[in-house]
Amino acid sequence: MTTMTKMPDDASATLSRPETSEILLKAEGIEKRFGDTPVLKGVSLAARRGDVISLIGSSGSGKSTFLRCLNLLEQPDAGELEIHGQPIHFTARRQGRVPADPRRVQWMRSRVAMVFQNFNLWSHMTLLDNIIEAPIHVQGTPRAEAIEQARQLLLKVGLEERADHYPSQLSGGQQQRGAIARALAMNPDVMLFDEPTSALDPELVGDVLKVMKQLAEEGRTMVLVTHEMAFARDVSTQVMFLNQGEVEEAGPPEQLLVDPQSERLRQFLSTR
Amino acid sequence: MLNLHGYGARLLEGALVTVELAALSLVIAVVLGLITASAKLSGRRLPHLIATLYTTVVRGVPDLVLMMLLFFGGQMLMNQLSDLLHARFGLDIFIDINAFVAGVVTIGVIFGAYMGETFRGAIQAVDEGQLEAASACGMSRALIFRRIRFPLMMRHALPGLSNNWLVLLKTTALVSVIGLSDMVRVATQASKATLEPFTFMLFVGAVYLLLTSLSEQVFMHLSRKYNAGFTEERS
Repeated sequence: MTTMTKMPDDASATLSRPETSEILLKAEGIEKRFGDTPVLKGVSLAARRGDVISLIGSSGSGKSTFLRCLNLLEQPDAGELEIHGQPIHFTARRQGRVPADPRRVQWMRSRVAMVFQNFNLWSHMTLLDNIIEAPIHVQGTPRAEAIEQARQLLLKVGLEERADHYPSQLSGGQQQRGAIARALAMNPDVMLFDEPTSALDPELVGDVLKVMKQLAEEGRTMVLVTHEMAFARDVSTQVMFLNQGEVEEAGPPEQLLVDPQSERLRQFLSTR
Repeated sequence: MLNLHGYGARLLEGALVTVELAALSLVIAVVLGLITASAKLSGRRLPHLIATLYTTVVRGVPDLVLMMLLFFGGQMLMNQLSDLLHARFGLDIFIDINAFVAGVVTIGVIFGAYMGETFRGAIQAVDEGQLEAASACGMSRALIFRRIRFPLMMRHALPGLSNNWLVLLKTTALVSVIGLSDMVRVATQASKATLEPFTFMLFVGAVYLLLTSLSEQVFMHLSRKYNAGFTEERS
């Protein structure tokens, strides 16, 4: 399942082939500037059910900022966001554009889960408490049910023995798999991964990628920022190469990573 | 054993006043402290200016002076207000500042400034990433404060908080100057009547020591609670 997203130099969105599955997450023409520096100059993306979209690019290309715009951890200065066909409305304020309804943003974030580079597990809670926190307090899941589900998720990520450990008692790889379980506990439509293996010791990367690969094979819709080219080639349905805040090239991984069209992408791949 | 010459019951009543005064002042101080810290960290100019003025003045003027300023000054203000009401509207209302309320408010206002600094440091020490993770889970600001920010902050705030509490508890002794019958005032009166100041001050000192020791126990318990998940890091 592959979608071509809108290219910056191509006004009309073109799909490589007709798609039938629904679009879960859509971003159109996202722009973002920090002060006077433009970081994103109109980036678009459409994630259909089961898509695994990898964002690649050198540091400073805007890929992480774009990912963070997708669940509004960063407020885009321009552009549209739609989750499940429901648009997010913005209102203009003195300090810039802000979402019109904070509750709508909260709802949207509970549908779009995020896994961070630095795991960001809550350090004052055990792993199990980390996983049941949002289901209980955001989604209103009964406690017993949330615990039952959390134990299954821990089994899935291979941490069933670590439920009562605090994050500080876990290795980086274990913390990241725990963070993936925490994200899964929301039963999200889309999962965002922001360089999930960049903070890990090399020998711990494999376990995390294994879990992510399993999720991709189960048909989870995922958008990830990654430096793991082999992994991107392996699991992605689509790869987007960002350069200086724009999509330089996008397409299926076998095409993009094996036969890059743009000079910049060729350079980028040759340094990997 | 100490012979309290029949003042025992009154001293215990005074001790109760001391405890009530301290506990209520603490509540005000914590609330004011959280507001002050938030104002200073808000990044907005006016709240920051007001909070800075508040902490600078309160921390720069002796507690005793502030207490008398607020109590007597407050009474003068109230007198003027009732004069004004009488002259303009023919209302005859005399507002008498209750010494207990004045004591609670004054001590609360003084320690709110110290708490503000304690909380500011503690709030800044909280890992932003963990708060971001909470936002990313769809948690509201209020929920994030209650479930994530506050417990994480308390770990950093507790040492300063317990220190402030001990000083606050001892500062309550100052309220005897504004006429509140706390333990120290009762003891002073008893000393004058019996000419045995040492007996009564020893008693008062012992009660304060008992209260502070109990507080230490409570704070050790709180510290264990809020350090859960962190202690392993050090060992």
